[in-house]
Amino acid sequence: MKHKVVQKVENLGQLTVQYLERLGFAMRLFWDSFYWLIVGRKYKQRVRFAQIVKHIKMDGVDALPIVLALALVVGMMLAIQLIYALQAFGAQSQVLLAIAKSVTREFSPLITGIIVAGRSGAAIAARIGSQVVSQEIDALKVMGVVPVRYLVLPPLLALMISMPMLIIGADIVAIFGGALFSVGKLDMSITAYMVESFNVLVVGDIIQGLIKSVVFGVIIVLVGATTGFYVTGGAEGVGRATTTAVVVSISFIVLADMIASYFLTQ
Amino acid sequence: MDNELIQFEKDDKHCVLFVQGDVDLSNSSQLRKTILSALKTSPEVAVHLSQVSYIDSSGIAALVEGLQYANSHDKRFYLKNLSPHVQSIIELARLDQVFTIET
Amino acid sequence: MNAKQQTQAVIEVNNLETYYGQRKILDGMDFQVDQGEIRVIMGGSGSGKSTLLWYILGLYKPDGGTIKVLGQDINQISFNDHLKLKQNIGVAFQSGALFSSMSVGDNVAFPLREFTDLDENTIRIITRMKLEVVNLGGFHKLMPSQLSGGMIKRAALARAIVMDPRLLIFDEPSAGLDPVVASEIDDLILSLRDTTGVSVVVVTHELDSAFKIADRITVLDQGKNLLTASVEEVKQSKNKRIMDLLQRRSRHDKLDPEDYLRRLTQENYTLS
Repeated sequence: MKHKVVQKVENLGQLTVQYLERLGFAMRLFWDSFYWLIVGRKYKQRVRFAQIVKHIKMDGVDALPIVLALALVVGMMLAIQLIYALQAFGAQSQVLLAIAKSVTREFSPLITGIIVAGRSGAAIAARIGSQVVSQEIDALKVMGVVPVRYLVLPPLLALMISMPMLIIGADIVAIFGGALFSVGKLDMSITAYMVESFNVLVVGDIIQGLIKSVVFGVIIVLVGATTGFYVTGGAEGVGRATTTAVVVSISFIVLADMIASYFLTQ
Repeated sequence: MDNELIQFEKDDKHCVLFVQGDVDLSNSSQLRKTILSALKTSPEVAVHLSQVSYIDSSGIAALVEGLQYANSHDKRFYLKNLSPHVQSIIELARLDQVFTIET
Repeated sequence: MNAKQQTQAVIEVNNLETYYGQRKILDGMDFQVDQGEIRVIMGGSGSGKSTLLWYILGLYKPDGGTIKVLGQDINQISFNDHLKLKQNIGVAFQSGALFSSMSVGDNVAFPLREFTDLDENTIRIITRMKLEVVNLGGFHKLMPSQLSGGMIKRAALARAIVMDPRLLIFDEPSAGLDPVVASEIDDLILSLRDTTGVSVVVVTHELDSAFKIADRITVLDQGKNLLTASVEEVKQSKNKRIMDLLQRRSRHDKLDPEDYLRRLTQENYTLS
């Protein structure tokens, strides 16, 4: 009996240590990435511009259609719910303000973060994981190429650049989606609705979304890369890592979103 | 310091380059430039390699580029007096069947 | 750069100790390879031969002892000096470890693109030349997934020698290959050494291949250097372990019946 309890506690302890170790590993990846970004040229560990551009296309531009499509739907959905709720107070004219603020501060970063986690986070975990399995990472190391510089830094920079771009697009389209549904009730033209929306927004609203998106981008790459580097057990392990990467990065995104909202909305 | 690696002998019909010492990543681009500019001014270029104690792949690549340029511009490019080391490196890549080699 | 260090040892491993978890893998390993020699490392599975390679390549930090490669103690020099040192070492992995997202040509060109300032035209010539050397001329556009086992090994060898390394390390060059292809690779290793003077360390369990290419053979057993000697001496060794290894006799020496039973039955049995 006693043995089983001890065993359970021991397992829990080991698990905690493992997760802390991975957290440390992820932090280290972040630090190393910027270290090599700065000193890379000096030690012939250059970061290739073309590689970053390739990742911006893959992780940013290629995600644009799906991000915009979902942003449109979310905008419409918000309009439906908010008009219904605000009607009770006879305040449906406030729907414009509510949509504009909630979209820029909350919904477009969150939606974009989740989509990009599903696309790029999974892809990064799968790519690095399969390279671990096939010894490609070892091959890089013995050649004298720093894996972080070659495999983590390019997608990291690419997402830090392309996430804010995606957010701007998502903001505009989501507000447009809200407009499509609201203009009838508000008796406004779509153009007037859009102009008015951008008038009620302050710089802080936009900035809050952009800051969040950069944080989400960093989370997606670090979680994807960390799970990738920790892959064991062949092709099956790669599959597991891909799922883990998506679930963990979405969880961290939601958590970070809450924390960021708290501190940025004072 | 340039003439330590390569020395010239030139008349109006041909140009002879004497290469000596080690040819590696640090100076193979110099060999390449010298060969290509010699080929631009002379119809016939010979490269003497008897004094070469070491040549790496980038050095051999410079010779290949010389041959490529010569063939496409109707000029003559050949190697002379290969040192044993150069000989064996050239044979390893079977380039002895590609270059004109005179002794 | 080349001629001056003729007599120096390219690898000096002294009293190397390593653990995998609680298990001791290398136990006071001594190992030395001279400039220009072809050394074959042999040993049964679990003897530590791959482990020794990983530590020489600096993939892990040892728990004790020193490792010098090309005259430098790899655990003393700075990280960046170690990166530079690695550019003088070519490694061909057992699985090839070619980058699956790149063509064969890009794989071979990779170190040149990363570490040199050569222009693309020169890089192309060097890359194709190396592919010619390993008999893969014209195959530069293929992807690794389109290659046969023997072609993968040869492409990996081409990538390993593209920087004209001073030390070439080859893990199981002939594993999984038919004898004809395997002996082609052996010939390639020999002619590379004879022309470029590169020092070569090969881990293999193929006896024919080992006897053909080795200047000296090192036999590992239980994490120790059991014997380092010429091919003839190894063949004539009276050491039982070595005779077993050479004759591929399975161990029909006396076993400990109690321990054997434990191995078969005990739920939490671990190797001690």
